[in-house]
Amino acid sequence: MDPRFSDALVPFLKFLDGKEIEPDAPLRTYGLDSMQAIELLFALEDTFEVMLPDDAMNDTTFATAGSLWEAVSAAIDAQHGLAGDAFRAAA
Amino acid sequence: MSAPAVLLEPSTAAPALAAPSIDDRVEEVAAVAGEHLARHERDATFPVEALDQMRSTGLLGLLVPRRHGGLGGTSADLIRAGIALGRVDMSVAMIFVMHCQQVAALVRFAHPRLRDELLPEIAAGRHYLASVTTESGKGGHLLTSQTALTAHQDGLAIDRFAPIVTGGEHADGFLITMQSPGCASPQDVSLVYAHRDQLEIERSGDWEPLGMRSSHSVGLRLTGTVPPHHVIGAHDTFRTIVTTVFAPMAHLGWSACWLGTAAGALSRVVKLLRSPQNRRRADLGSELLLTRLSRARQRIDTVHALLEQTRKTVEQTPDLTVPHIQLLLNGLKITAAEQCYQAVDDLVDAVGMRHGYLKNSPTRLEQSLRDLRSAALNYSNDRLHLVDGKLALMDSEVRLD
Repeated sequence: MDPRFSDALVPFLKFLDGKEIEPDAPLRTYGLDSMQAIELLFALEDTFEVMLPDDAMNDTTFATAGSLWEAVSAAIDAQHGLAGDAFRAAA
Repeated sequence: MSAPAVLLEPSTAAPALAAPSIDDRVEEVAAVAGEHLARHERDATFPVEALDQMRSTGLLGLLVPRRHGGLGGTSADLIRAGIALGRVDMSVAMIFVMHCQQVAALVRFAHPRLRDELLPEIAAGRHYLASVTTESGKGGHLLTSQTALTAHQDGLAIDRFAPIVTGGEHADGFLITMQSPGCASPQDVSLVYAHRDQLEIERSGDWEPLGMRSSHSVGLRLTGTVPPHHVIGAHDTFRTIVTTVFAPMAHLGWSACWLGTAAGALSRVVKLLRSPQNRRRADLGSELLLTRLSRARQRIDTVHALLEQTRKTVEQTPDLTVPHIQLLLNGLKITAAEQCYQAVDDLVDAVGMRHGYLKNSPTRLEQSLRDLRSAALNYSNDRLHLVDGKLALMDSEVRLD
């Protein structure tokens, strides 16, 4: 997972207690609620200059750090094309 | 193809030939509820006679699959029952649909051992279930809990106060939300089942409300220990239970009760207006009266259409967590709460002081209006609008199906 992704997540996870964000980190357990999901989404879209598709807006996407990163990553690939890897590498 | 998200287990046996229909059973309960309505309304006491009738008719087992001895009913059956009971007594209707919501969660998520223990008891009418989700200091948040379950060698210890437990003094068992043992946050919520005899129950405070008087929703302190297989689903899975069963069943069931209450009110008004004695006295050609009757009917038909559309969508949609489905479900609840109340309020204006405002009118509009005032507060419309605003932002396509 991209370090900028973890940095964007941290402010929304008030029960993380300084732990490292692993891919299986349960976002709701660590404090993300449905009212904040949209703010997190905007933060990620700003950071990675992508738009997440409406199809990704479900509980499965927001379940863990890994599942959310997968959705962000897919959007980077789709929207930055071949430049996606370079885009991520530059992060 | 994915299975529908709220699908009750299919029936495996044909009903006995002479068995009464679900509608007949509902009518029996409604008749008894009507008989005792005035006393429970006056005294704010629980409708024990209607509950006894739900037990003896097997209606408590409406959503229990037939292989466990139940009626194997569907969400459409639940909605029809909610409407029919709501026409007579909104408290009885809400007591019933909330019990069914608990049963649906057990059918779908309970450990097989707990299912085998409980479902036949519910089907036999020996188990009426109450829900314990309210908690002081969490502002109505369904998905959090401030009080943790404690795991020890004898099982899971419960020590929990709930300010509002509908039917809590008469329930044979409770489904209780609590923080999971050793959890990381208040959002790690488990749902546990406790038999009445596994708990010490201390009542707190009086029940003297504006409406819904016979729902008898008292405060309770519950303490006791339950075995580990009484956790419904698994620890931390309450959110999944809410999104797949609790929320859809609550919104469909509550809306049905409110719709029934408004429909019953309009029916009583129309019967009064058309009665031979009244026909001569009232001006049934009054444009104001006709417009108000039309508005009330329009509101009722709108809620009915939305309720049916939402039921079909819930039955056919594998993932109910997507924004446009959540919006539809929440929108049903908000719309039903507003429009059913407004329909009765229109009727108060339509018939005026004597039949609209006095307790002893056969229209019972006064009680219906007080009962329906609770609808917007019962999981607050204000809170749902905030959620829906956020959800609307997540559905830029504005998908409608």
